[in-house]
Amino acid sequence: MRKIGFVSILILIMLLAACSSNASGSKGYPDKNLEIVAPASPGGGWDLTARSLEKVLTDENLVEQNINVVNKPGGGGEVGWKYLKSKDAHTLAVNSSLVLTNNLLGQSDLTYNEFTPIATLATEWQALAVPADSKYSTATEFLEATKENPDSMKIGVGPGLGNDDHLSLVQAASEFGINPSELNFLVYEGGGDVVTALLGGHVDAVTTSLSEVKDQHLAGKLKILAVSSDKPVEGIEDVPTWQDEGVDMVFPHWRGLMGPPDMTEEEIAYWDEKISKMVETEQWKKVLDNNDWESFYKNSEETEAFLKEQNDLYQKLVKDSGMMK
Amino acid sequence: MDGGSFINGLMIAIEPINILWIIVGGFLGTIVGMLPGLGPATAVAVLIPITFSMNPVSAIILMAAIYYGAMYGGSRSSILLNTPGDGSAIAATFDGYPMAKKGQAGEALAISAVASFIGGLIAVVGFIFLAEPLANFALEFGPAEYFLLMLLTLSAIVALSIGKMVKGFLAMMIGLTLSTVGIDTQTGVYRFTMGLPHLSEGIDFLIVIIGVYAIGEVLYNFLNIDQQKKDKKKVGKVWFTKDQWKRSKWPILRSGPLGFLIGVLPGAGGSIASMISYTSEKQISKRSEEFGDGAAEGLAAPESANNAASVGAMIPLLTMGIPGSGTTAVMLGALIMLGLRPGPLLFEQQPETAWALVNSMFLGNIALVIINILLVGLLVKILDTPAKVLYPIIVLLAFIGTYTLSYSTMDFFLLLIFGLFGLMMKIMDIPIAPLVLALIVGTDMEQNFRMAVLSSNGSLGIFFSSGVSIALVILTLLSLFYPLIIKLVKKKSQKNTDQPEQVYKSS
Repeated sequence: MRKIGFVSILILIMLLAACSSNASGSKGYPDKNLEIVAPASPGGGWDLTARSLEKVLTDENLVEQNINVVNKPGGGGEVGWKYLKSKDAHTLAVNSSLVLTNNLLGQSDLTYNEFTPIATLATEWQALAVPADSKYSTATEFLEATKENPDSMKIGVGPGLGNDDHLSLVQAASEFGINPSELNFLVYEGGGDVVTALLGGHVDAVTTSLSEVKDQHLAGKLKILAVSSDKPVEGIEDVPTWQDEGVDMVFPHWRGLMGPPDMTEEEIAYWDEKISKMVETEQWKKVLDNNDWESFYKNSEETEAFLKEQNDLYQKLVKDSGMMK
Repeated sequence: MDGGSFINGLMIAIEPINILWIIVGGFLGTIVGMLPGLGPATAVAVLIPITFSMNPVSAIILMAAIYYGAMYGGSRSSILLNTPGDGSAIAATFDGYPMAKKGQAGEALAISAVASFIGGLIAVVGFIFLAEPLANFALEFGPAEYFLLMLLTLSAIVALSIGKMVKGFLAMMIGLTLSTVGIDTQTGVYRFTMGLPHLSEGIDFLIVIIGVYAIGEVLYNFLNIDQQKKDKKKVGKVWFTKDQWKRSKWPILRSGPLGFLIGVLPGAGGSIASMISYTSEKQISKRSEEFGDGAAEGLAAPESANNAASVGAMIPLLTMGIPGSGTTAVMLGALIMLGLRPGPLLFEQQPETAWALVNSMFLGNIALVIINILLVGLLVKILDTPAKVLYPIIVLLAFIGTYTLSYSTMDFFLLLIFGLFGLMMKIMDIPIAPLVLALIVGTDMEQNFRMAVLSSNGSLGIFFSSGVSIALVILTLLSLFYPLIIKLVKKKSQKNTDQPEQVYKSS
């Protein structure tokens, strides 16, 4: 009995030695546990993105190191991203357009170019929806009526002004020739509350993520007038895009990944390789499918250009909405 | 309701693996509910990675069991230590703790478990027959109705503080003031955040609960530690008496449906349900003066209500895909990851899943009442634990619970500040519940008021524009003036003492 114990301990030690020599043998980045920061509480979009990344990268053996998801909620991402800024290249964080708008709205000193762009991963689309018995059956009709009398149209949005739900309609309205600062928004606590308000007839329309209203539309409880995608969305092909409605706009609600400032080229290349492989896996496609997300992969270089372009767009939108500080 | 799917759902729910999850979830829920700060939302969130590998039906069964399990557990620490584990267990401190002080801890634990059980059963039956119409009823609630519901809750709290009305009012105002900290959603303006991004989402009411109750209680007992040793509490029975049952029977049966209805409203939840049920029972009771002194029915009623509310909260989640509470929001996220999308199509496309959950709640409540009654004997031993062991443990748990809320050490400072604050309030004999409840409902109350007025273009008529809102206004007025009316009536009946009974009956 004792011998077996001794032998097994010996084997264990050898294994450990092998592992550690292996790790130091491959050298370089990453050489310790990795961290993905979800700058929000568990359960939301950022958290689910971070946990999906962790799961797919681990399950598909793309990354050998342990990956931990860390929740750092607060300040619309600010708390988590400040934390990221203080870490080394073994910590990454999930982001979205808030990394741009927080600063544009004067709510944060952090700017997007203080971080290292890694990838853009997935997108959701935005939807404009009205009650099932609404007198407006197209987005054009709705905008026409709003143009006539912008104050009378109560539009539900959540959880705060300046987010994509809000700004996507701001863009549509201003493309249509409406002054977006005149729109009458009621701000609810979250996407779910917005939908409840619409179903109960407490608002005339809502602007929200497509996933919040898609099933309700299919069940005939409300009508989606337009989606912000470039082509019709699977499952609801009957709903026109904004472009079909003559409003020249494609508005993604994207999520991506970024690292702390000053990552080296090798470190960035490491993630470009891993993430580009990950987005091709069946498991990742399943994740996208379950969440009603669409693949929106851009590598680090493309993401850098994309962020710049988006920042210009959001700057204009925030200004149009009358929220510029 | 569809009979075939119901039976199929039952068959799924009684698969051994699912029974196991029900028991595991219920037990886990009881434990996290008991610990200050660790609530069902945290427990479900921690389990998300584990549920990834589970069958979606088992996952939803497990998560739901944790949720209502926590409702059972929450009152345990309210009764034994005067520290509620969550907002919905605050009302359990009013009479639960005095009962424990009188040496009736065993009775209190037992009757609250049974009350939770009956409340849960009533709600599951309600769910089976009324899910659809109730979901539509919930939609009637616009900003004006929500504001009035919260106003009713606050007026109930003030009415509770009879005898120290001014102090109760003061505590409530402090709570409302604290609730204004954070981003104002209507305008996006940051209020009273002192430049700290951490405060942008407001002060988490759980930190305040843990601070003023748990830390405050420990500090307070620390000051009085010498007197305390002398009266060693003896723990009597582990089952309630016939008389206690007789007094609690009707309050339990009334509070179940009440809590269920309030639970269905997204955003209302267990705190409001238990509070309203407590005050309404107190007001219609013949022995209202015993409330707050360890009346069994004062504990049983809110316990029945909050458990019923947790079942009710599943209705908007399952029928509309709308989370009605923090915990159901986390559940929604987890279910979507599993490819199960609660919403209007769930009952059509996956009826077995929906009915499996409903049936599991039925079984879960049976499992929980057994678990909790078995635990009574063990839990009352906590009271025998020497203070030098117990209090450090409570403080430790308080810090752990606080950390899990947002993984930030800044919350520790808030916790300590509110701990000292709680101590002060206890010394000055200011009631704590109005402060905490005002903080819980304050933000929503303000935002709903402003949305209501915005949508009516400034007219206050919107608060009288629907049947529901008028009913709520009347209830609010009643809850404020009922004690006064009763006083007047009593005075009169004292003058002509021949018929006091009838006065009560008519009430």
